[in-house]
Amino acid sequence: MKQIFLIAILAAIAAALPLFLGENPYIIGIMISVLMMAALSSAWNILGGYAGQYSFGHAAYFGAGAYTTMILITLFNLNPLLCMAGGIVVACMIALITGGIVFRLRGHYFALASIAVAEIVRLSVLNFEFTGGAQGILLSDLSLWGLDLNSKNPFYYGMLLVLVVTLAITAHLRKSKTGFYLQAIREDQDAAASLGINLSFYKNRALLISAALTSVLGSLYGLYIRFIDTSAVLDLRLSIEIILTAIIGGVGTLWGPVVGALLLVPLAEVLRSNLLGDALVKAGLVSETSGMGLFLKENLAHAHVLVYGIITVLCILYLPKGILGLFRRVK
Amino acid sequence: MLFLQALLSGILTGGVYALAGIGMSLVFGVMNISNFAHGDLMMLGMYLAYFAFTLLHIDPYLSLILIMPIAFLFGFMMEKVFINRVIYHPHQNQILLTVGLGLIMSNTALLAFTSDPKILTTSYSSSAFNIPGGIFLSVPLLISFLITCGITAILSLFLLKTSTGMALRATSQNREAAQLMGINVAKMSAIAFGIGTALAATAGALIAPTYYIHPLAGHSFLLKAFTICVLGGLGSVAGAGVGGLIIGVVEAMSSTYISSDWKDVVVFVLFLAVLLLRPQGLFGKKGGQA
Repeated sequence: MKQIFLIAILAAIAAALPLFLGENPYIIGIMISVLMMAALSSAWNILGGYAGQYSFGHAAYFGAGAYTTMILITLFNLNPLLCMAGGIVVACMIALITGGIVFRLRGHYFALASIAVAEIVRLSVLNFEFTGGAQGILLSDLSLWGLDLNSKNPFYYGMLLVLVVTLAITAHLRKSKTGFYLQAIREDQDAAASLGINLSFYKNRALLISAALTSVLGSLYGLYIRFIDTSAVLDLRLSIEIILTAIIGGVGTLWGPVVGALLLVPLAEVLRSNLLGDALVKAGLVSETSGMGLFLKENLAHAHVLVYGIITVLCILYLPKGILGLFRRVK
Repeated sequence: MLFLQALLSGILTGGVYALAGIGMSLVFGVMNISNFAHGDLMMLGMYLAYFAFTLLHIDPYLSLILIMPIAFLFGFMMEKVFINRVIYHPHQNQILLTVGLGLIMSNTALLAFTSDPKILTTSYSSSAFNIPGGIFLSVPLLISFLITCGITAILSLFLLKTSTGMALRATSQNREAAQLMGINVAKMSAIAFGIGTALAATAGALIAPTYYIHPLAGHSFLLKAFTICVLGGLGSVAGAGVGGLIIGVVEAMSSTYISSDWKDVVVFVLFLAVLLLRPQGLFGKKGGQA
């Protein structure tokens, strides 16, 4: 109950933030990315953190939501909410098939199989005609069903709503029978099975919840960016970013994914937009026209993945329980 | 004729895949770690061959004499500094660590060598043997295949006959028991990872003349190497050899009879089918539930 209050208070503060910050599209954009990554990572955390099933293929569900929504809108001009529901159906179908295959497997095999399923989805989307293939799907209509797609605020609140729902489900799960079953499966599958827990039923349940939430985020992302292609919504890199965010914050904790997203997304943005390079130039440390300055300007934008790699390695070696795990150890 | 052509070129390409798969399988067998940096190690091999060719004017196949020891040392050090610290950690931590190391390698390469693909063109890059009956065998692929066979034979002899090889196999069979018998398992892990890296880099160098060289090229080979390992049984060196050939042939057949766009999908479907029907692989002894 305490956690539910905390979620409500923080959600209220987050909901009020745009009123204070005004209509600065850049800041709102970064905040949307933070909320989206926090929600994606929290949704993954239900399966990965609580049930202990490290899915390396969550991009498949994100892409299912994004592609279903964009295809339904461009072809039939359906209500966006209906499209999202369609996305959930497709994502859950993929999840059921995936679950049927991968939940028989453990450890390495599970991770590898989840990647293989996601890659099959990605390559199929890339090769089919109706998905736009390598060109992706562009949404040119800007006023959809009374929703002004030019404004970022609806997406801010949309992402916030999904995040709050995901956190509330997680908080509820932690105290429910299903949640205890999932944690039992995480700690020892054989012991859990011997106590009468239906492994595949509960694993599939966690996967379905996780996939449905992830697909809604994919739908929102598609409408928000108005352009999707396989490298943006179905890439293995996205699946890994989702896991990283959870790992850095703390896997299997309620707030870990949120903390991870608050740290990683702004960091990536600083590197991507070359704020760091500009700051070095402004501070007079590097001259803009010197070789070093040009190198930074050219390449620093690509460096955020490199920084992700370094953070991952350091995190696994020195902070395997994440930032929140650090506090828990003290207690 | 079409069938025979696809079969032969599949086997030739499969040989190089086999080399990458054997490296990964050896690491998995000895250390029980899925090395997600394997594809990026192949990419390093490709760049080593490229720079040996453009800067030192050494033939890519000859440069293997240089590349293999460099890659072995690189892998040996990588194991000593990073990998051995997670050897008793949960699988997911090991996977994420190697993912992180792979990201560091590929993105450092991206910064250093830019994202422009490089092409290594030798005098024989596009030449082919013409077998009567209208079958063409690409010369670079044929050389690669023969080198692969040689290296695999040497590796098998090493594993079967030398004391280090036997110690490696013992560690692979049972780490604790090997340690009780006085085998330095930490050293064996470093050696296995070094050999794995050397094989990955060799596979990279072998395909460099027939493939475009790009910092992110390792990605697609990583998944292929996993498929090969699982097909042959994770940890089984002989299995990985056969698995590589099978994957090469399956790819060539699906390119010929379905479409080259779908060949990777066919490989992944095969991968899932093997996991479902025979999770221990064709030659593996351990079950997929292990």
